[in-house]
Amino acid sequence: MKPPRSLLSLPPILNAFVSLIPGLGQLLRGYITRAILIFSFVASLYGLVLWRLDDAKIAVTVLPPSIDTADLSRPQETTLTYAVVAIIFAVLGHLWGIFDAYVCAGHKPSPPRLGMTFLIIGTLVVGSDITEINIAKAVREIDDIVPRLSQILWPWNPEKILYRDKENFDGVALWETPCQEDGPVEQPEPVEGQPYLEIAPDCGDPSGGRLPNGRRREGTEVTLKGYNYRPNEQAELIINPASIPEFRVVVDGERVRVTPDDNGQFELSFVMPNFTIPSTTVGAVPVRIIVRQQKEIGSPKLVKEFWLSLEAIIETIFLALMATAFGLILAVPMSFVAARNLMATNIITLTIYYLVRLFMNVVRSIEPLIWALIAIVWVGPGPFAGVIALTIHTIAALGKLYSESIESIDDGPIEAIQATGADRLQTIMYAVVPQVVPPFVSFTIYRWDINVRMSTIIGAVGGGGIGAILVQWIRIGDYDSVGIAVWMIAIVVTILDYASARIRERYV
Amino acid sequence: MDAPVLRIENLSKTYEDGTQALVDVSFEIRKGEFLVIIGLSGSGKSTLLRCINRLVEPTSGHIWFDGIDIAQVKGTKLRSTRRQIGMIFQQFNLVKRSKVITNVISGRLGYLNPLWSVVGYVPPQVRQDAFQALQQVGIAEKAQNRADALSGGQQQRVGIARALMQKPKIILADEPVASLDPVLAYSILDYLEKLNREHGMTVLCSLHYLDLVQRYADRVIGLRDGKIVYEGSKADIQNITDTQFRQIYGEEAQRLGGGLTGGLQKG
Repeated sequence: MKPPRSLLSLPPILNAFVSLIPGLGQLLRGYITRAILIFSFVASLYGLVLWRLDDAKIAVTVLPPSIDTADLSRPQETTLTYAVVAIIFAVLGHLWGIFDAYVCAGHKPSPPRLGMTFLIIGTLVVGSDITEINIAKAVREIDDIVPRLSQILWPWNPEKILYRDKENFDGVALWETPCQEDGPVEQPEPVEGQPYLEIAPDCGDPSGGRLPNGRRREGTEVTLKGYNYRPNEQAELIINPASIPEFRVVVDGERVRVTPDDNGQFELSFVMPNFTIPSTTVGAVPVRIIVRQQKEIGSPKLVKEFWLSLEAIIETIFLALMATAFGLILAVPMSFVAARNLMATNIITLTIYYLVRLFMNVVRSIEPLIWALIAIVWVGPGPFAGVIALTIHTIAALGKLYSESIESIDDGPIEAIQATGADRLQTIMYAVVPQVVPPFVSFTIYRWDINVRMSTIIGAVGGGGIGAILVQWIRIGDYDSVGIAVWMIAIVVTILDYASARIRERYV
Repeated sequence: MDAPVLRIENLSKTYEDGTQALVDVSFEIRKGEFLVIIGLSGSGKSTLLRCINRLVEPTSGHIWFDGIDIAQVKGTKLRSTRRQIGMIFQQFNLVKRSKVITNVISGRLGYLNPLWSVVGYVPPQVRQDAFQALQQVGIAEKAQNRADALSGGQQQRVGIARALMQKPKIILADEPVASLDPVLAYSILDYLEKLNREHGMTVLCSLHYLDLVQRYADRVIGLRDGKIVYEGSKADIQNITDTQFRQIYGEEAQRLGGGLTGGLQKG
């Protein structure tokens, strides 16, 4: 390469001096690309550093003095440090530019490796600050993610994803509060083969509330005698006051449990715990006191989250399928008017070609996620919105791929069919269509594959499918279920990926 | 051999990039004639043939065929004219993924209702005719094969069968054997010759090899840089002189063998 023509031949020292404005020396010597590169890099780096410094200053001035900046997740010193490091590299790059201008004035400069290295490092430093990259934090807080990640990666623990139905074996005694004057509380009749309880006393007060001397009121101590239980199987104490749901009694953080002896009998004393009595109650509140043995019956079953995930992934597959099908139907006609070789005949068809192309490029450049948000406004959240969003994007994407494969077909057959006196429609059906079927099939299957992957994301913003429940489980921290859903997605995507590759292989 | 089937008058073609492919070309073909056009690549042979059925738009001049000027017709009239002019191509131009029979049937499209092509319906009579055309070129047993499963020679026979389906008054053949082995070249040209001799089909054919020209042509036109530089009868071409040869193929061209077996080396 010959040195280019200089605009102004200054002596080397002077040429270096004018390069205090980055790139000016190079520009004067006619190295225009080099000049633009150096100027834009150095100037933008200085600009970015100034902005970050300004940010750091604002952070100091707007905070009330009572707030210690060290408490913030990102103290302004960090920004300051980054900015200073970036300045050093910016200045190094600038100085190199001046030196380079000195060299340029003499002979052809070598490739700007060193200078570009300085400037690129400086840019990456500023970038780390802007995006708040904090590797130390990522390492320090790794414990937050490891257990969850292991749950997600392996959700298939039998005790987590399997359960068995339970059968209750209840003995029930009746108790009331406060005590009434009308004699003992009537107890249920013992039933043959069922356990039963004897209770004493059969009335009293629950715990809670304050006595006039300020001390917490202790509840009545109740003694239960159980008969006819299954021997040596643990039983739980459960209390069910009228009008509120039953609850297990917990004392000192432990559930109250009892194990009947060999005859199926036990004796259990406990202090009546606190429970809320509705303020509208008149007279005594009846309370059912239950001692319950439970037995798992039937075969193990998969948890309902598994079935939910399965339903959702099926919904996702069909969501993608419907979007691909609608996209196909609409993209095929569109692709023919977006193929230059078919539309270049006159100015009208060519205008249509440009308009359709423009439409497809605009639609394609908007992500399906955005289309989903728009579709939700239109038809409300759910899989239909997802179908609309993916269909819109699929039309544009497939239309472009289809039209490009139409443009790349062999012109020979078209010429030959035209020469037989066929009209345009016949030419398309006989010469164009047979040639484009294989690429169309291939692109369509590929698109379905993409749509399945995209629809998992679209669910997250309300477009239906597995993404919807996945996001919900992440929010409530149910990482076992997240794992199930993630596995379903991975399995389906893997199978589809493999299948689409095989089908495309066969068709092309 | 009587009235002219086709008369070209002052035909010129200048491409958009300024290339003058044809300059004031005039000649005529009589009914039942086997007219061969020779010349180097780029001499305008393909452009000339493609102007005749308007695959290429001529810049000026007239193409008289069956009482009409092809250079002026449009729309339906153009298509009904095209269907009377069969064409076979150097690269065969078959739809490779379609069946052989479908390729042959496509030759009849100019006669069929366009709407039928959308649903893929072909009248039984047309299908029968297509089988007959394939029989005529001797590959009826390949009817259900895909076109790209055939050898080059077989593909060109399909090309001929497709042209026959047009029930043409004239066949244009653009270098029909240039992509084939020399041995196959004879068999393809034999078919054209048979059509010409036995059915009185008018043939306008461009060829490369001088020995083929000497063997098949009734009459020869030499093109160079879009102008006619040579015109000769069957007898003339058998005894083509070196001077005439250089006129057509340029100063650097070498005659190989010479005489009847003369070929040419491109300059």
